[in-house]
Amino acid sequence: MANIRSICIITINLTLLSCLSHALYEDQVGKFDWKKSYVGKVKFAEFDARKLVVGTEENVVAALSSKTGNVLWRQVMEDPSEQNIELLKIEKDIITVSGNENLWTVRSWDVGTGNLITEWIISVDKVVLYKFDVKDNNLYVVAHDGSMLNVRVFDVQTGLVKSSLQIPFVATNNQCILVQTYYACLVHNVVNYVQLKDNSKVSTIPLQSSENAKISTYKSVTPAIIITTSSVNSEIVFFNGDNHQKHITPVMPNAIGVIDSGTPLIFQLEGTKNPSNLLIKSTIVTNGEELTREFEYPHGLGKPELAAAQCIDHVCNLLLSSADNALLLVRFPEAKVMWTREEALSKIVATEFLELPVSELDASIENEFKGGNVISMFLHRITTQCRQLSNLVFGSQFLANTGLVRDDFGLHKIIVVATKSGKLFGIDTLTGSLAWTYRLPNVKPFKMLDSEKMLLFVQRTARYAPLPAQCTLLAEDSITGNGIIIQFDPITGYSEKSIIRLNYKIRQALLLPNDDENHVKPLVVYSDKGDAFIYPESANTAIATHASHTYLYTVDVNKNTLNGHNLYREGENIKTTLSWTVNLGPSKLVALSAKSPIERVHSQGRVLPDRSVYYKYVNPNLLAVATIADDPIHKNVLSIYLIDGVTGFVAYSTSHKRAKGPIHLVHSENWLVYSFFSERFRRTEVVAAELYEGSTQSNSTVFSSLAISQLPHVETSSYILPAFPLTLAVSLTERGITNKFLFFALNNGVVEIPWLLLQPRFANVACGPEESCIPYMPEVPLPNEAYINYNQTLERIQGIAVAPARLESTSHVLVYGLDLFYTRVAPSKTFDLLKEDFDHILIILVLVGLVIVSFITKYFASQKMLKQAWK
Amino acid sequence: MLKYSVLIFFLLCRMAPLYCLEQDSSVSIKLYHSLTGVKEPNFTERSTITIHSLRSGQAIVDQKPLSQQDKIQLQKLAINNEFYQIKAVATAADGSKQEFISTLKACMLAEAELDERLSVSLDYTGRVIGITSVVASKGTCEGSSVPLSKFKDFTTNVYVRHSETGPIPDTATYIQKLEREREARERGDTKDNRSFIAKYWMYIVPVVIVMLISSASNPEAGGGN
Repeated sequence: MANIRSICIITINLTLLSCLSHALYEDQVGKFDWKKSYVGKVKFAEFDARKLVVGTEENVVAALSSKTGNVLWRQVMEDPSEQNIELLKIEKDIITVSGNENLWTVRSWDVGTGNLITEWIISVDKVVLYKFDVKDNNLYVVAHDGSMLNVRVFDVQTGLVKSSLQIPFVATNNQCILVQTYYACLVHNVVNYVQLKDNSKVSTIPLQSSENAKISTYKSVTPAIIITTSSVNSEIVFFNGDNHQKHITPVMPNAIGVIDSGTPLIFQLEGTKNPSNLLIKSTIVTNGEELTREFEYPHGLGKPELAAAQCIDHVCNLLLSSADNALLLVRFPEAKVMWTREEALSKIVATEFLELPVSELDASIENEFKGGNVISMFLHRITTQCRQLSNLVFGSQFLANTGLVRDDFGLHKIIVVATKSGKLFGIDTLTGSLAWTYRLPNVKPFKMLDSEKMLLFVQRTARYAPLPAQCTLLAEDSITGNGIIIQFDPITGYSEKSIIRLNYKIRQALLLPNDDENHVKPLVVYSDKGDAFIYPESANTAIATHASHTYLYTVDVNKNTLNGHNLYREGENIKTTLSWTVNLGPSKLVALSAKSPIERVHSQGRVLPDRSVYYKYVNPNLLAVATIADDPIHKNVLSIYLIDGVTGFVAYSTSHKRAKGPIHLVHSENWLVYSFFSERFRRTEVVAAELYEGSTQSNSTVFSSLAISQLPHVETSSYILPAFPLTLAVSLTERGITNKFLFFALNNGVVEIPWLLLQPRFANVACGPEESCIPYMPEVPLPNEAYINYNQTLERIQGIAVAPARLESTSHVLVYGLDLFYTRVAPSKTFDLLKEDFDHILIILVLVGLVIVSFITKYFASQKMLKQAWK
Repeated sequence: MLKYSVLIFFLLCRMAPLYCLEQDSSVSIKLYHSLTGVKEPNFTERSTITIHSLRSGQAIVDQKPLSQQDKIQLQKLAINNEFYQIKAVATAADGSKQEFISTLKACMLAEAELDERLSVSLDYTGRVIGITSVVASKGTCEGSSVPLSKFKDFTTNVYVRHSETGPIPDTATYIQKLEREREARERGDTKDNRSFIAKYWMYIVPVVIVMLISSASNPEAGGGN
């Protein structure tokens, strides 16, 4: 008997576990998810046959198809914050040099497949400026210490030193370049150059005007440099042996050289009288013959620069790289843009999911009964119904065309994304296509703890037709450091007021929960001087009653303090006053997490086996803070605090000795999950802490942080995570009924882990299948089926954005980093949706059949009754 | 005597094994309060609190008596639904000073008849990170008029709140549990020498029931014919 019971329990446990991990069927791949791959801002680009090989600031080597712009292969090297790509050249294979100031890795890659062929390391002791270039399978490494050039020539394949030489060369080394075997430096009003060989002499090129002069590499087969003297004027200097030769006519600073069927050409970009057009000029080097073509530069892209060029039989491909990290391929002489890639999307700093507006037809029905007196109401109804009829017959104009119309389940949304380069995008969740783009010049994100963020707020959703939805983005001016604010319609990307540059720095911003008369949620921006501003200004009076209930917190990373502020109104202005302080002192603040303002908690408590309720401590104002302190005995000590944002009350604090970062916090409902690296056991640990009020609820109607009747009781448990998480997130559903999933971003994808697995088990309460409780396991299982990105690798994940759909079971998830991956997750499975393979026809047939049969039997029954009556 | 104090300390540590500080120290807190609202706070001295041992958390509170003027001001704050603010200056054993601000609703304090709880939160080394004044209450108020006779003196209960030691993964009990389960299984395998019926009753019973039903329904069907 006991045997059977244990088998039962094991099978139930297994089914519970298998229920909790969801996987995709093969035919569901790509049905509701999409992935876009990016490479980052292009630093090096070279054409090779039908491929375009790029090396980017993200320390990535990739090959793009020159026909479509798609990524053919991509190799991600070390973290760009530590190592950078310094050279990319195509010889027989692709040669890259990447590294930091004293350690470089030389790699060669196969052009066709992107496979790594060789890899070797250059390590140096002396930290001076190093320059690299490859010529004829030789890697030239030049170290310039001001007076001497130390040149080492390596064999690219083997890494053996072929020769090394020293050449005296006096110049400050910040304006120097290495072009193939020539080393050139800008010194005051001349350019000195030397060929890297034995007994070579330094030669000099005199300049006409030396102010603001710059030198750069001229990209071509023959060694040459461009000397730029002004923003529109520069000249090309070709090196030949020990001599140099200037090109006859001056060129634009971003000129590029290419050989077309043996003829060397110079390509340049020039502006035209029409600001939306650009001019491409190709010049034959030998005779100066010119060919120009004007083309329409795509709207919304930043200033372009020529990055690479390739000519095959008089047809040339020009790669343009714009200031906002976009890539364009222009075909010459047709002057046609073949494709564009928005590489800005590889650095996302803010995301928001927005519901789409209802179709015009629905909106007009909603507005039908608005109006004053009887006659106006009647006229209003007649006109709206006429419009509905015309819409029905002819179809509505704008929204129907773009397809951006709300669906029944809220599965179709638009994702508004702000990127580091200051470009905003609207992305359709169904297809992943870009609905709109908007470029903000001279904008950079805020630095928050370790990450870079912009603040994106939804002031009005699309619910209030005919009023459009409204979003506000806060960022920093890259020149002055002051704040910028921009309001825009997230559905169309249209901004009425455009960018507003503020005259103060932004420290904190919050969205008030109450709408004003235009259904706009007012935004309070707190400046570094302690003043509060309200946007829109017209909402000032509307918030009069709420001001005294509004609290905000600020974090001082330098002093490691948290301060609370209380808003109040004085005359027409909003003022703040300090209301609490928490001083974390010598510990360093490393992470902070607040709850999602749109999160709802469905269940107020946890039901125990004796059918009593253990109430949750659900405080929406709770902040989770993590600090790391240097300790003489325990090395690093991690402390976690839960602080009430209204009163500054420390609700809970805990510490872990010999723990180090990176720390990731997730804070939801009544619980907190954090992960850290334990130096003692050399593993990643995940801790779940859950807060309870106890068996009585202190206040069942309205929660107030100011009224504390009992201290929260904390249950904790700790787990081993056999992986290294990059970031952490939690699922979010409309009403919070559905179970929660935690998302752990690992280095190859995102794993979903049910909260039930981590939820602390009560010590004195039995844990079994009857209570839908999974017995404690110290190691968090990471099954392959739990990867939401299934077999698609997601590189360098930076964040996970989660938003609820209108279907309770479903959450939208956007994973961003070098790749953009969107999918939908249903932690409790789609319990409110029929299965995809549900047989509608069969059930209709059965129902119709039953109705027919019941009528026939009714007829026969009445016949029989009649006959019996006659007998 | 020494024996006893050691014993008491030991007991305390036993009682609260999670909260034991590595080094005990003392802290003295000077409380100031502002009775003029938060817009232009004017802090006056209110009380001095001395905590000799952070481990035990025993505090000596020395209240300064409230003057009539103070009481009237407090009553006014409560009626106008304004905030009552305190400033706490904590002096640690090594002489370092820290200042903390805490705000609470004056009407709640008045309704509680000046009975407040002072939460002194410590980090893992025993350094004060926050001092918050809290009124124990189940709800808030929006201004209330409390007669002056209810204002006597502040009653301050000090709670020294230590940082807990974080949990570590409980691998030992899990391995023991697995071990036990394995043993139970092994024992189960060897012990399974029950009779045929005891082993397979769940397959036999349905078959018997089906046979019974079919035999019961057959004669009836025959009778109907």
